[in-house]
Amino acid sequence: MGASLLDAVMADTLDPAYAQAARDRAKQPDPTGTGRSAPTRRWGQVLVALTMVVAGLLVAVTYHHAVAKSQGRQQVRAALISDIRHVSGMTDDLAAQLEDLRTQVGATRKQLLAATTVGQQALDELARAEQGAAAVAVTGPGLLVTLANADPSADQDPVGGTAQENTGGRVRDGDMQLVVNALWDAGAEAVSINGQRLGPTSAIRFAGEAVLVDFRPVANPYKISAIGDPETLSSRFMANPDVIALASISKAFGLRFEFAQEDELSLPPASTPELHVARADRLESAAPSAGATPGG
Amino acid sequence: MIPILGLAAGVLLGLFLDPTVPVSLQPYLPIAVVAALDAVFGGLRARLDGIFDAKVFVISFVSNVVVAALIVFLGDQLGVGAQLSTAVVVVLGIRIFGNAAAIRRHVFRA
Repeated sequence: MGASLLDAVMADTLDPAYAQAARDRAKQPDPTGTGRSAPTRRWGQVLVALTMVVAGLLVAVTYHHAVAKSQGRQQVRAALISDIRHVSGMTDDLAAQLEDLRTQVGATRKQLLAATTVGQQALDELARAEQGAAAVAVTGPGLLVTLANADPSADQDPVGGTAQENTGGRVRDGDMQLVVNALWDAGAEAVSINGQRLGPTSAIRFAGEAVLVDFRPVANPYKISAIGDPETLSSRFMANPDVIALASISKAFGLRFEFAQEDELSLPPASTPELHVARADRLESAAPSAGATPGG
Repeated sequence: MIPILGLAAGVLLGLFLDPTVPVSLQPYLPIAVVAALDAVFGGLRARLDGIFDAKVFVISFVSNVVVAALIVFLGDQLGVGAQLSTAVVVVLGIRIFGNAAAIRRHVFRA
């Protein structure tokens, strides 16, 4: 049945009504020999022409609609894109303004505090706290650890299926947490991932396919820079049992996991956490409250 | 010749007047166009076969367009609109191809 139906569709492409009408005409004896009377024929021509007008109209209207629809979509898209550009430009401006104001505040604070010995002490304390809170940019020698997803073509594992290899060949948040913790443990003084500095409250999380550091996505390959004495760092880092385990895992799954000592690494400041609940004590000097700000 | 002029006039009319179609009818426009194309190709082939009949052409055109739109409308109501419109397009497409092939044989003798 199915095949014959398709056959019928393929074979009888012409409406059978035409053949039927032709046969009827042939059967009818007509004196003129042209088929029908002249007025009927003229009417037929007019009707055919009108039908063709309708067909043309239909095509043109449909075309118009299709074009209008795609244009509307493009317009909405363009509007959204310009909105996004505009707002992110505004965010950038605000961030720059914030940076400016922060520098001003810092300079003013330094000016005011540098005059007295108590103030000087407070400043030193503040500097230490800021370093601990990753609120200032730092440079120095250190260790650069590179973690990267396995190359899709390099997956030559004969056992697992492709889907498993794909997920196995990805760097997960746990791997990065492990490396970062090992670096802290090895005596790193400051750590950043792809230029995203880790502060005291930074988190390394997994959201869908992307690794988020401080809720900002970082992309493969992941370069983790740690500042500290390169010799101690690398020897203690290598001796860490977690790192040894990760190295063997990454070898098994084809991850890229390597590290190198660097003479000069520069890390940007981390985003300072906002204070929502904490409030400065009303004490006699400004020093403790100022010191509490960057630490959160 | 007159039918071709009519088609051109229709296209020009549609492009310049840009008539508004009710929103509820808009989804059926493409399928109606395919059905209309089928009827037009069928008529052209019948003419080349020498069995063209104005009445049959007009009726087949109108019924084609209405039935195609109706089938898709019914499918939309039943939740299988996309599949039914695919079916309509496939069947009409095959017919258009077949008629186009017959017209080609008439015109080029190949």
